[in-house]
Amino acid sequence: MKNAVRTLRTQASISQAALATAMGVSRQTINSIETGRYLPSLPLAMALARYFESTVEEIFDVDP
Amino acid sequence: MLTRDTKTTLQRWYVPTVATLIGIAYLVAGVMGDDLSFGVIGLVLMLATAGAMVLAGRRSETVKGLLDRQDERIRGIDNDASMFAGMVLVVAVIAGFIIEIARGRDGEPYALLGAIAGVSYVGALVVLRLRR
Repeated sequence: MKNAVRTLRTQASISQAALATAMGVSRQTINSIETGRYLPSLPLAMALARYFESTVEEIFDVDP
Repeated sequence: MLTRDTKTTLQRWYVPTVATLIGIAYLVAGVMGDDLSFGVIGLVLMLATAGAMVLAGRRSETVKGLLDRQDERIRGIDNDASMFAGMVLVVAVIAGFIIEIARGRDGEPYALLGAIAGVSYVGALVVLRLRR
């Protein structure tokens, strides 16, 4: 599943570590989400959406 | 009521505390079984393991995640790794049971271990089914 986390993060000029701290997860987890290796839980996906003032659908794309 | 930081701190010390308690149990078992060297070595090894985890948790995000259980991805990895280890253990128990039977013995202690694993699985299945 593709996602826009890396794009949104770089647009906001935040490091992976800073986003990780804000989300209460590790930097590795943010990296894994950005590279598509890890699909976050619904609460984490919603937390990311709220953080970037967006929606889950806008950040995560279910289409291959 | 515990704050999230307090809970995280308590969870971070859970594994090292359990490792220390197991070490103490080794020492007590060694003293009771007249094998003091086993008890002392067991305690030292478990204390070293606990200390190594605490120190590694300051440098490694993975170890920190395993200790404080805050990162959902590392929790998932830990669950999958535990399940894999459990499956390997079950296969080993079944293999041991078959080998013991083939040798003309009664299959113990593998039969008991297999029964414990089976009952635990069914029990967990029932409880988790009711909770989810």
